[in-house]
Amino acid sequence: MTVDDPAHNISQSIPRLEGRQKVTGRAEYVHHLRLPGMLYGKIFRSTVPHGRILSVDVSEAAAVPGVFRVVTIDDIREVLPDPYYGPAFHDQPVLADGKVRFAGEPVAVVLAKDPRVAAQAVALITAEYDELPSVDNEVEAMTSDIHVHDELKPAASFPDLNHLKGQSGTNVALGYKLRHGDVEAGFAAADHIFEHTLTTQPVMHTPMEPFVSVADVRDDHMTLHTASQGPSFVRIEIARLLGWPENRVRVKVPFLGGGFGGKLYIKLEALVTALSLLVRQPVKIALSMEEQFFMVTRHPCTFNIKSGVTKDGKIIARACEVIWNGGAYADIGPRVTQKAGFTAAGPYDIDNVSIDSYAVYTNRPPAGALRGFGAPQIAWAYECHTDMIAREMGIDQVDFRRKNLLRNGRPQASGTLIRDAALDAVLDRAAERLGWSLPFDPGGGRIKRGRGLAVAIKGITAPTTSVAIVNLYGDGSCGLYIGTVDMGQGSDTVMAQIAAEVLNLDASKIRVMHTDTDVTPYDMGTLGSRSTFHMGTAVRLAAEEARDKIEALRVELDEPAGSNIPLSELLRRKYGMQAGNIIGTGSFIPEYEKPDPDTGQSRAATPFWGVGAAGAEVEVDTETGQFEVTRLISVVDVGTAINPKLVEAQISGAAIMQLGFTTTEEMLFQDGQLLNGSLADYKIPNMLDVPRDFRNEFVESRQQDGPFGAKGAGEISTMALSPAVGNAVADAIGTYLLDMPITPEAVYRALHPADGDA
Amino acid sequence: MKNFDLEEPESLAEALALLDEDDSAVRPIGGGTALMLMMKAQFFEPTRLVSLRKVGGALGGIDLSEDGSSLRVGAGTTFTQLQQSPLVQKHLPVIGRVMKTLANVRVRNVATVGGNLAHGDPHLDLPPVWMALDAAVDVVGPSGERRLAVADLFQGYYETSLADGEVITALYAPLVEDRRAAYAKVTTRASHDWPALGVAVSLVPDGDVIADIRIVLGAALDMPTRLTAAENVLRGQPAGDDLLATAGETAAEEVDIESDHRGSAGYKNHLLKIYLGRVVRELMGR
Repeated sequence: MTVDDPAHNISQSIPRLEGRQKVTGRAEYVHHLRLPGMLYGKIFRSTVPHGRILSVDVSEAAAVPGVFRVVTIDDIREVLPDPYYGPAFHDQPVLADGKVRFAGEPVAVVLAKDPRVAAQAVALITAEYDELPSVDNEVEAMTSDIHVHDELKPAASFPDLNHLKGQSGTNVALGYKLRHGDVEAGFAAADHIFEHTLTTQPVMHTPMEPFVSVADVRDDHMTLHTASQGPSFVRIEIARLLGWPENRVRVKVPFLGGGFGGKLYIKLEALVTALSLLVRQPVKIALSMEEQFFMVTRHPCTFNIKSGVTKDGKIIARACEVIWNGGAYADIGPRVTQKAGFTAAGPYDIDNVSIDSYAVYTNRPPAGALRGFGAPQIAWAYECHTDMIAREMGIDQVDFRRKNLLRNGRPQASGTLIRDAALDAVLDRAAERLGWSLPFDPGGGRIKRGRGLAVAIKGITAPTTSVAIVNLYGDGSCGLYIGTVDMGQGSDTVMAQIAAEVLNLDASKIRVMHTDTDVTPYDMGTLGSRSTFHMGTAVRLAAEEARDKIEALRVELDEPAGSNIPLSELLRRKYGMQAGNIIGTGSFIPEYEKPDPDTGQSRAATPFWGVGAAGAEVEVDTETGQFEVTRLISVVDVGTAINPKLVEAQISGAAIMQLGFTTTEEMLFQDGQLLNGSLADYKIPNMLDVPRDFRNEFVESRQQDGPFGAKGAGEISTMALSPAVGNAVADAIGTYLLDMPITPEAVYRALHPADGDA
Repeated sequence: MKNFDLEEPESLAEALALLDEDDSAVRPIGGGTALMLMMKAQFFEPTRLVSLRKVGGALGGIDLSEDGSSLRVGAGTTFTQLQQSPLVQKHLPVIGRVMKTLANVRVRNVATVGGNLAHGDPHLDLPPVWMALDAAVDVVGPSGERRLAVADLFQGYYETSLADGEVITALYAPLVEDRRAAYAKVTTRASHDWPALGVAVSLVPDGDVIADIRIVLGAALDMPTRLTAAENVLRGQPAGDDLLATAGETAAEEVDIESDHRGSAGYKNHLLKIYLGRVVRELMGR
């Protein structure tokens, strides 16, 4: 009888459990799924950004041979009397209901056995609209007479929005406030005042796997197969829409081909559910890459930031006003507004802070969470602003940041203490990797060189819950039942490592069940860098409970404590054959205190702090404005890196994505119409755009209450990157660009402001 | 996408017979890299596609003419074949350099020289280079065979002088002693983006003097366009900085570039001035 060596699963770069399946093309995705009798739906979309629907003529489409049925909101109402959904507001109709609020909004669906027939029929649908004036820009929307919604309809799920119920005559879905100290007194006491307004542009998640959902309604229960990051939320919301108990709605999620915050909450799920309910056959809708632009985007924002600084370089007051362009439906925008709002003053120890953050409706495709819940947009503003202050005051940018940085034990602007946040370490490492203390060659002649850095912080969505089940079978092998969705980040592997470490097993031998809400327990969602901390803790607790039960079984069987008889033998003795289970469960919700609605103050606003820094070097062609990011360094604090290789992949993936949002990506609108809705015209970076010197690192750190000292990693390297690049460009050309993205033309115009015509 | 017939004839005569001079929904298809995108977007709904991939001989081969004065490239030649051809590398090294910045391996493996020209997409990189090299094409159709300059092929935005039922069979690039050529692909976003503009130049130097020059602007206009006024500024002159600046101004004045996602008109005019100078300097060894 042998026992495995003690497990050493933590801080090991164990290969992804699913690696072989993926590279051999055997991994399961919803796109592959075909059910008997399944119909395909194709969507007819609005061509106007704002208008009342006068008529929708589906007769020609319905007459196409092979078309099963054409569906509008009137049909949907037959099965869903109140067909509105959303995580924060019940504002989004399953199909346009009387009004369209953005160009590209779904108005009708054609169902056919053959998706090509459905697509062909969609082209034959016509709609007439009474066009209404539309509002596009978030700043205008704050005061515009054009209202996207006649009445605000907050969902009950966010108790802090209830007071908005029934409110009309506004586009402001949510106003978040934070007050710390006395900002006006701070400005009065300051020697220097700096104020800037910076903006970020609309961008999209662009997962390789576009949105796809299949609904299969049978008698009194239904199954949704969906590419979702939040299957538990999907079940709750679909059950609510149907008026069914949760146990009649089953949500199954295989692997995802990327999510990045896009595949959260309800996307296609309500639509396919209604369609399947209507026709009593399975229905699949799979969006094309081009249709993704109309599903969910990242919030553009306009950020006015003002700081008061003493003559020796201490920031003593900072006022932030952030306006978020949420598009036509709120989605999770109110959470973005709050979560990003609360750290809008940056990672600095400032005695007097005021923050106002507004989620506003506009006639654009809805905006939601995208790899950072707004943190990258606000960091763009506060870190460029901070850099500008240092430069204007003639203080070294690293020294200025060090002087003002929040330190462990100090209260952040919300009042929540900073703890286990390696802000100094990430900043120092980024500066060291840039060789900040060494002389720098600024170039000369045509090519000018610059370098810049930035450091950023974020709070984590709270409070949220994860539940895990560890099931040890009769032969001692282990299954892990969790709702965390592996969308490429490697969560299956990391969760297996945590369970294996507690149970003294080999992580690669653990089977991680993919989410099936009939089988796997609740999880709030795979989002916001929360899984390793929250689900990781739940898994640890579940594994510890299982371990305790095994110990109890040893005692029951009169084995001495510490006996090395394997579990399979213990179970065989107890049951007389290979049988039985040891089941451990773990449930985790971190401590949380709801922020005061008037001041944003809370003793526990976030379970942990996301902390990252970035450094960049650029070369600018001063004749053309074309530039190259020649060096890009991302340094993050993830606590213990449970799987260093996966952490590095997370850091680099997020960095490349954010580099796209910084330099190449922008959804362009004119009169509410998207102009570049394809990957031929909306440019994500490819490998040739990755800087020659591209480093992705984490610092030594420990999150005391995280599983084995770990915390989340998924979003952290998105935060500081854009301002690091922007500050590097400014270092090269002597002018700060305030609007993202940083394009060659913008750089050229900054270099040649007088050259009006060129 | 509607159903359509895919024909794969094994001879040119058979292919021509399958085409239809009166039906624009019947189209020849080479590598299909461009046409398939149009079909997916429902811009183009064919009833019949006539694949030229199996035609072979008549559309294949890369050969030097007997007198060595021109290079014939079969229209069915893929970009990878073009890139790897020793004859092309020796006589038209500019083509190999362009290939490194053009599309990607998967596209280059199937996209063809003829299809690339017949598509008439103004954003493509190779057509302006062929024009700068003064290349011509052979076209075969119901009314027989004709040869025309690549410059005369393009009539407007996605418009060519090819009639329905006609097929490009070969391209001829004249080989000129001492001629040098270069192409600047100017992108303003991701590296694999379509160019904001492309500047193709071929010239024959005589010491410091530009004895002859052809300049073609791609991507910024409805079709690849020769910049004859700028050529006239430079032809017969030494390529000094002032003259190059004048040529740049002249180039920007002789065309009417419009603003789009890749840059404002003013910015693209500026890029044209800068890159024309850079390309000419590079070719003159300055």
